[in-house]
Amino acid sequence: MSFISAENVKFSYDEQNRNVLDDVSLKIKKGEFVALLGHNGCGKSTMAKMLNAMLLPEWGVVYVDNMDTSDEKLTYEIRSNVGLVLQNPDNQLVAGVIEEDVAFGPENLGVEPQEIRRRVDDALKAVGMYEYRTHAPHKLSGGQKQRVAIAGILAMEPSCIVFDEPTAMLDPNGREEVMKAIQSLHDKGITIVLITHYMNEAVLADRVIVMDKGRILTQGKPRDVFSEVPVLKRHRLDVPQATELAYRLIGAGVRFTDMPLNAEECVKLLEEVLG
Amino acid sequence: MTRDVSFGQYMPGDGVIHRLDPRIKLILLIAYIVFVFCAFNFVSLAVISAATFAAVMLSRVPLRMYFKSLKVVLIIVLITSALNIFYGGGDVLWQWGYLTVTKDGIFRAIFVSVRIVLLILLSSCLTFTTTPTDLTDAIERLMKPLKALHVKVHEIAMMMTIALRFVPTLLEETDKIMSAQKARGADMDSGGIIKKVKAMTPILIPLFVSAFRRAYELAVAMECRCYHGGDGRTRMKVLHMKPLDYVSLVISGIVLAGIVLCNVFFASIV
Repeated sequence: MSFISAENVKFSYDEQNRNVLDDVSLKIKKGEFVALLGHNGCGKSTMAKMLNAMLLPEWGVVYVDNMDTSDEKLTYEIRSNVGLVLQNPDNQLVAGVIEEDVAFGPENLGVEPQEIRRRVDDALKAVGMYEYRTHAPHKLSGGQKQRVAIAGILAMEPSCIVFDEPTAMLDPNGREEVMKAIQSLHDKGITIVLITHYMNEAVLADRVIVMDKGRILTQGKPRDVFSEVPVLKRHRLDVPQATELAYRLIGAGVRFTDMPLNAEECVKLLEEVLG
Repeated sequence: MTRDVSFGQYMPGDGVIHRLDPRIKLILLIAYIVFVFCAFNFVSLAVISAATFAAVMLSRVPLRMYFKSLKVVLIIVLITSALNIFYGGGDVLWQWGYLTVTKDGIFRAIFVSVRIVLLILLSSCLTFTTTPTDLTDAIERLMKPLKALHVKVHEIAMMMTIALRFVPTLLEETDKIMSAQKARGADMDSGGIIKKVKAMTPILIPLFVSAFRRAYELAVAMECRCYHGGDGRTRMKVLHMKPLDYVSLVISGIVLAGIVLCNVFFASIV
């Protein structure tokens, strides 16, 4: 039984425009790590907002844990079950003190004070920001702010977190911090949906879904999807650098036994080739 | 330039004043401010100054932070005391044309400047030791009775929290936009006042556009975290009056009673 299931979802922001989502169906299992790829305007952010009832499909249905997102009585239950972390860390933090910001979600849910305290401490520890709990957000780095934003979602104890380009505005250090946090959440059994432009992040997922013009273009294991270099290129999508290098070397006549996804694999395969 | 705003910034710490209930701190601040203006002679002024000084020391916030906030009002203190020196009645000490310095004027000037300094020190003491959230929380709780009059207490408190949260962010952004416009050759430092005000347009327009975008994104983020107004909302921090709070109330009560007594037993000067 899939945890999230979208069936034939269609959506447009206004009537003249083409459908931003055009008959999208997808299923996400509990505990899965899914990366959602596609270039700008392909509908992936819209899809993210479908998953926590921020947007409702005009056609089709989205079920989260067997709850229909269009049922208004369930809206807050769905939103606390599927958290959404956005791109800009600055614009997600509400309060002037870290721990009070993290408490914002559970406070909205009407959780008991001692229970909020426990959840806030646990969430901050999970993202490694516990020592900063009494600090002000503007004194933190981008990566730290984004981790606090993740803790704010985590404090609602969701079983799934959707990340909408969480690393797009961060420097390489911040990106690494946030990806580590995301991976450790996945290890704890939280379902992850990661929307990203960085292919080396998508490689970490169990499954990659590629969207184009409001439709799902292809999906599968990262290794299988990224092996289709020409298909991805045709849709103006990147592949990981290591894959790109291998692709070009294969084009130049070098024989690779497999497609590498990261630098280490690439080095190993090159050593094989060079004997 | 915008980095130096120290007035009203929270300084993390664990002093006695940090641990006081924010509601008590707010009520005491209001009481002390009233009594700063009710100190009519030097003895009562000395008592309230001593109390303020004690509060400043107990806050365990570096003294330079207090000096920084005082620097902001230095000019106001100088101008008002200058005005008071020359506009007093009574014994003339020194005269030069229309300018007369009187004993009364000097006393008045001392009172006014001490009062302004005390005002800033007391309110800084509150904002340095209380997180903005605690402060708005205290205001929300103290204003709760107004709910009966259909005042939207929760909404007002939420707006204050968000405003306070975004002050440093928008200041930082202003700095960035200024640098960006300067890099494109914008001239902001020369010319008369009208030219300088006009030169602010290329800073304010991007700032407003970005503020609205931030507002939209923040609203989305808040909805994602199940925000739906004040109904059914709980708070992580429950405010309980602790022994410390009662002690501070009693001590403050004694100090303020002392000021009243000093006012009664010593002649009023202003």
